[in-house]
Amino acid sequence: MNDFALWLSQTYPSVLIQTNNAWAIPTIQSIHIAGIGIVLASVFMMDLRILGLAGRDQTLRQTTNRFGPWLMWSLVALLVTGVLMVIGEPVRELVTISFWLKMFLIAVGTLVAAIFLRTLQKHDQRWEDAMTKRLSIKLMAIFTFLVWLAVIVLGRLIAYDHIWGAWSPARRL
Amino acid sequence: MGGMVACPKAVNAVRLAIPHTMDISEVIKSIENTDIASSIRNSLFLFPMLESIHVIGLALVFGTIAIVDLRLLGLASTHRPFRTMATDILKWTWIAFAITFVTGGLMFTTNATVYIHNPVFQAKMALLLLAGVNMGIFELTTGRSSRQWDTSSSPPAAAKTAAIISLTLWIGVIFLGRWIGFTTTRTATKDEAPPQINFEELFPGATEDSTTPAPPPTPNKK
Repeated sequence: MNDFALWLSQTYPSVLIQTNNAWAIPTIQSIHIAGIGIVLASVFMMDLRILGLAGRDQTLRQTTNRFGPWLMWSLVALLVTGVLMVIGEPVRELVTISFWLKMFLIAVGTLVAAIFLRTLQKHDQRWEDAMTKRLSIKLMAIFTFLVWLAVIVLGRLIAYDHIWGAWSPARRL
Repeated sequence: MGGMVACPKAVNAVRLAIPHTMDISEVIKSIENTDIASSIRNSLFLFPMLESIHVIGLALVFGTIAIVDLRLLGLASTHRPFRTMATDILKWTWIAFAITFVTGGLMFTTNATVYIHNPVFQAKMALLLLAGVNMGIFELTTGRSSRQWDTSSSPPAAAKTAAIISLTLWIGVIFLGRWIGFTTTRTATKDEAPPQINFEELFPGATEDSTTPAPPPTPNKK
């Protein structure tokens, strides 16, 4: 991975971002954060609806129809800006444990969301009403929200990977 | 130091609130010297954790405000009455804002003098203030008549204008907030040297404050 990061840092797109880093990096990061806002608020609204804490004037289906597509398209936008950040600063991103833990949790969060939204689409209103009463679904809502919070924390920790001590690959460079 | 006589009334008001001999810059300095500020500075974990919670809070602030603004623009949630969703969502916005306020305040204490003189920080505070003013104007004017357009999928032009201003200002706040991290070198005022952050020296320009010129390479303390 170190070799790959070093190779990537010498490619043309990487050099292009590096030479414009005074504005390019903060700009990409800001767009990334705005996207995080849409993702987290979308997950938050759907989870609060499952928990019965918000949006009770709407059915769960109406809520997921409103926020599901925004969640998925924002994740795409985050992927694009995220890839740009990796290209721009390969060593800073790839040679950290925070980055890889974050990628793992993003996979978990996205998979759970996709399966949940797909399952919901396949069933009728009666199934939905019965399901939202189940404790396991409520626990899943809390769990996925915590997963996304951890993703945000790990994203910020990429800049502070040294706090992992010996676990940080940056140490061994 | 007595250089702030341009607005005597304001100065007097502040002097009433704080001990007589203190100047604003001394107040800022004393914030920096509090135990809580120095324990954040000296901790490896606290500042990154505050930043992370700050990002979580601001993500929810921006995301939930965007939901309401998109409704005002008639771009999303159009089937839902505006007033219902505003009361439903905005209470969470305020909780999230309180989180960003507390975490932001704590981060401010660690390097208060530098932040308060940082034009990017000042601009961010100005945009936050403008976002508040924009919200206040909306609440006192168009918001008052919201009963009349509550179920309309396309609210009045004034409401749409307020929504566009709001979205623009909040995106500006995010941008300037991120920019602060590139203009302030936190380590400059650390109480003591950070414990062996070697990879910053190994990869100058590859770490957090990559826009600030990298310090000259120094031999690693083993």
